[in-house]
Order: sequence, then C-alpha cells, then structure tokens
Amino acid sequence: MTPEARAKTKPTLPETASAVEVRITGGIYALNRFLMTLQSKRIPVAGLTVGGNTKAMLVNVLIDSPPETARRYATLLGALEDVEELRTADETLGVALLKPEGDGWRKSAAKMGIETHEDGGTVVASGSPEVLESWLSEIGNGEITRLGTVARPGEEV
Amino acid sequence: MENTAFNIEYKPRTGSEAMCEALLDEGVEYLFGYPGGAIMPFYDALPDYPLKHVLVRHEQAAAHAADGYARATGQVGVVVATSGPGATNIVTGLATAQMDSVPLVAITGQVGRGALGKDSFQETDVMGMTLPFTKHSFLVEDPDELYPTMRRAFDIARSGRPGPVLIDVPKDVQFAACEHDVYRRLQETTPPVTGPALEAAALLLRKAKRPLILAGHGVTLSGAERELQLLAERMDIPVVTTLLGISAFPEDHPLYLGWPGMHGQASVNRAIDKSDALLAVGMRFDDRITGAIDRFARDAKVIHIDIDPSELGKVVKPAIGIAADAKAALRGILGYVEDSGERGDYGAWREELAESQKPEKRREEAAREKYGPIRIMGAIKDAAGENVRLVTDVGQHQMWAAQFFEFTKKNSLITSGGLGTMGFALPAAMGVAFAYPEEPVWVVAGDGGFQMNVQELATIRDFGLNIKVAVLNNGYLGMVRQWQQFFHNRRYSQTPITGPNYEELTAAYGLSGKTVREGDDVEDAVRWAQETPGCVILDFHIDPEANVYPMIPSGMSVNEMIEENDARG
Repeated sequence: MTPEARAKTKPTLPETASAVEVRITGGIYALNRFLMTLQSKRIPVAGLTVGGNTKAMLVNVLIDSPPETARRYATLLGALEDVEELRTADETLGVALLKPEGDGWRKSAAKMGIETHEDGGTVVASGSPEVLESWLSEIGNGEITRLGTVARPGEEV
Repeated sequence: MENTAFNIEYKPRTGSEAMCEALLDEGVEYLFGYPGGAIMPFYDALPDYPLKHVLVRHEQAAAHAADGYARATGQVGVVVATSGPGATNIVTGLATAQMDSVPLVAITGQVGRGALGKDSFQETDVMGMTLPFTKHSFLVEDPDELYPTMRRAFDIARSGRPGPVLIDVPKDVQFAACEHDVYRRLQETTPPVTGPALEAAALLLRKAKRPLILAGHGVTLSGAERELQLLAERMDIPVVTTLLGISAFPEDHPLYLGWPGMHGQASVNRAIDKSDALLAVGMRFDDRITGAIDRFARDAKVIHIDIDPSELGKVVKPAIGIAADAKAALRGILGYVEDSGERGDYGAWREELAESQKPEKRREEAAREKYGPIRIMGAIKDAAGENVRLVTDVGQHQMWAAQFFEFTKKNSLITSGGLGTMGFALPAAMGVAFAYPEEPVWVVAGDGGFQMNVQELATIRDFGLNIKVAVLNNGYLGMVRQWQQFFHNRRYSQTPITGPNYEELTAAYGLSGKTVREGDDVEDAVRWAQETPGCVILDFHIDPEANVYPMIPSGMSVNEMIEENDARG
C-alpha cells in the first residue's frame, strides 16, 4: 500500500469522541434493538465494533459528541433491558491485527508505547488511535487489519 | 396423569393457561383484543379464567382502549391480537403509548415455531417492526418461560418511565405443556435523589424573582399532584403545565396560569419567556413547548426533574438536573422549603402575570357568549359536572378543549400528546369508561379523527358504555386547513372532508344522536346527551374556518407568535 493510499484509509478519530463498551444478552433481537436505538435516537456514532459469543455480545460504540452528551446517550443505552453492563471508556484505544515482516516492529512499538502481543503469527497491537496510526504508517509493511477503536473499560453507568 | 392419593386428575398446564394465570396474578381485570388464527389457543383458555375480554372491532382500537384504561387508572393496560395483520394493526397504539409513557402489555399470537421465518400465512416480524417504539419486547419460544416472561413484561411496563412491552407467542408454544415456572420479581430501581441537588433547587427557587413551575405527565404518572400543589402553595409559585400535564394541577386554583406551546395560551408562553427560574417536573421539553430552543426561557435557570435520566439535558440544559420520580423529588424539595421556613415573595410577578392574562380572559368571556367550540366546552363542563373525564382526539378541538375546558379533577384529561394520533379518542374513552363506569366520560373529537375508529360504536353499544361524544364538525381536517390558511396561501389541498349523517349513523348502531347548529340551544343539547342513558353523539356544526389561537409557527419562538388580533389585522 502506498503512503497516499494508506493516508486515505486512515480512520480519523473525532476530537470529541467518547467510547462506551456495552455487554448485551438476548441474541440478535437484542443487538437489533440496540442498533435501532442508536438509529432512532440519532446518536452520532463515529465507530462501532461488535464481538462476543453465544452468551453475550460486546459492542464498542464511539460516540461523536461532547462528553456530557455522550454520558446522556450512555445512560439511555444503559437503560435498555438487554444491556447487562455498560461502561464508559477511561481511554479510547485503536486496535489492529497485523502480520509484519521482519522483527523491527518490536523496537518501534516499544518506543512509541504501542502494546503488542502475538497470537499464532498475528500481532495484536493497541494504543492511542493517533499513535497507533502513526506507528502503522511507520512500519508500513505486511498485512494490516484495523479493528477500529475500542473502549478500555472505565466507569460503569 | 392421575394423582391416586387424592383421586384427582392432574392436568398439565398449557402455555395459554400460564399466560392467563400470569394476567390474573398481575391483577388484570380487562383485556382489549381481537382473536385470530395464531392466538386461538389463548382465546380457548380465556373463558376458564375470571378475566374480562372486550371484543373491539379493530385491533388499533384495542390498543387505544388499553391505553385509555392505563392512563385513567395508572395500571398496566392489556391488548391482545393475532399475528400478521392483527399485530400490524396495533402498531399505532404501541407508538402512541410509547410517546406518552403509558404502561401497556401487548400480547400477540405468532405462527408456530416451525413456521417462523418462512413467510408463513399471517407471519410478520412484529418484534422487529416495533423495536423503535416499545420499551421492551419478547418472543417466547419456551412454554416454561411464558409465565415468568409475562410477569416480567408487566414489571418493565410500569417501572421507571412506563411504556409498552410486547410479548409475541408462537401458536404451538401456547398449546404446549409447561413443566416449570420460576418467577423472580424485578427489583424496582428508582434513581436515588441526592440531597444537595434538591437543596440547591429549593435555594434557587427561593432566590428567584420570577419563578414558574412547569408540570408534565410525569406528575400524573407518579401521583404527585398533591406534592405539586403543596410546593406551589408553600412557595407561592405560579404553575403552568404541558398538554399532558393538564389536570395535574387544578385549573380553578389561583396559582394556575394555563399551558404553553405552539397552541398554548399566549400569556403562558410570555410568562416562561420572562421567568428567571423554571422548575420543570415530569416533562421532556417537547418541541411543541419550546419552539426555537435557543430562544426558549433565555433568562431562566432551569431545574429539570425526570425519572428518565436520559431526558436531562436532551433538549434544554438544566442548571440543576434531578433524575428521580416526580413525587419523591417534589417531596424532597418541599422538605428543604419547610426547613427554611421561608416563603417566596412573588407578589409583583404574580400581578404582572395576572395583568398579562386579562386580554385573553376578556376574549374568552366574549367567545363563551357565541355559538362555537368555547361555548360547547363550557356547556359540557356544566352538564357533566366536576367528575367528568374528557377524552380528546387530535387537532383543533384538542387545543380548544385544552384551552377552554376547566379541568379541576386530577387526571381528567386523556389525550394523545406525543404522537398526536387521530382516531385515539373513541377507543381510549372505552378504556376510561370500563375503568370508571359510574363517572361521566365525554369524548371531544373532530369530524376527521372521529371517523378513523367510528366502528367502535358497536363495541360501545355491546357493553352499554355511557360515553357521550361531541363531534366538532367543520367539514375539514381543521388543523391542517388552518396551517394551509396561514402558510400555504389558503390552498386547501385535500383537507375538505365529508362524513355520514351522525343522527342516522347512531340510529344504525342503536344509539342516540342529535345535530346541533348555530342558533340551536347548545346547553339544552348537552344536557339532553348527559341525561340520555348510554352513548350519545352530538354533531356540532361549527364555523368551517374557525381557528385556534395563538399559534407559534414550527421552529419559531414566542416572539413570532400569531395571536387572534394579529390574524384579524
């Protein structure tokens, strides 16, 4: 990927974004209701990731609004019956999966404060979204999959 | 299975029986519904239980009737419908209840589990369809889950900020035998009311020069009418209400001013504009109240009390936000007010407000002498008395009723505020009449909305409900016509509307009716209706171009308000 192309795909993180991490039970209807609430209440979503298993789903929502408004939205989402747990983020992280070439990435990751661990040949890297982007641009080789921004659990609403 | 020890036959409980038992255990008396294929097992079980079912003529009416019952009693209303079109027909009723925070449980039949997702006959994804305007919903696929799910649905519907809950039950689940039922009542979690916020609110009100209380539906929902009146009286603070808050404070009380908004009283809009402290309790700053939000109550420090914390700061940023039940919060503030022993001195403010109301009162007095909506409202109140409950439809007549009917009994106005659902009044009045069969119930409707659920006259006749109806018949969809007059150069596109001869219609249903025109004795006609047993319809032919004043154009502020004198130039 050329630096220009990489710049185009670089996710931009809104300055005012607030992240919340939500644990939902109740299957696809519950997820649907959650998404429908984001839609019908016109909650400004800057990023959203869904993961989980058969028992529960973990949804990370990046809300593009001032913290006070984001807290109100978090309260609204937290009141949904299917929401088992909702935490606002102490810290918003960017996460990427990569299969880098060589070994030089270790040193630069440590230098820039990027946390990494390896899982069967795939490196999971996380850090401040801006710093992570900068680091990914710097190492600039291999296969990179950005998972988007996630919230580090903080205060429970 | 036979129990040999007691020589009795043990009949395993079916899903339908579990549903009926849950309804009984919740204290349900009335269900409003309409049977169909997918809900037949439930209807088969129903006669074995002391539950009263009201067979309506359209499922939408069942939802509104359950809504009216819930609003009038404070209990959870129950609506039953079959799958497919039965379920889609209750959608408007659920949305109406959601917008006005009305506790409702809707039970819908669904195609059998094996037929789900296969575009089966009368299959619709009613859960998916109603996700945005139900508080919660369930598709119950395990018969053992039916009883606890039903109980939980009632808990959810009435707890916190009330709302509608849907339970969708596949037909084979209703048939199936239950083996277990375990139920754990939900712990109601009322958000804590913090002392400092309440004390600060009391202090802010005491320091204000021009305070106002703006009371909404939450006051009625929490039964906080007494606390509201005590606080207003202790502090001598004038009270205004939202449309749904009307009758939360007696309108003949000297501290009552009226209600603000797009078609609220001009003087009340101005009072809010001039206030320096606004205690908003159990309301959500609907756009019909605020108009242009950047110009709403600019000088006021707002104290906002609402049980739904997500309402705080949604529209208006409060100086003090209190997430609490209205009754608990008002009691708390009252406590601090009593402790301080201080009483407000707002004499000058109240004199100013009284002065600003004089032109309106003069116009109202003059209008009461002439044939028209204002006189009709007065005649109904006089004939029906203090205990009357008024149910309105949506449109001009709704605004006239809200402005000119004097509501002195608490929770005596039932109206669709948030969704503004035409066709609401007649079926909702059925719910009210079932709840209070001994009390007078009047419907005020326009000729447009009344025709939307007119088929319910058959239900009303079947049950002998003592509902009186005043149709304000102007031959138009009046409110839309009024807006066309002001903002679309009198281009009355598709607003002229015809209707039946109501005298003949009522006769066809075995009911009584009368046409009233200018020159007829309004009071005599209303008295006749009140004294005639059973349902009576009065068809009042009124000025086709009568308007509701004032009006604040959408998105404008009190400064752009159009008043009657402005309109006449």
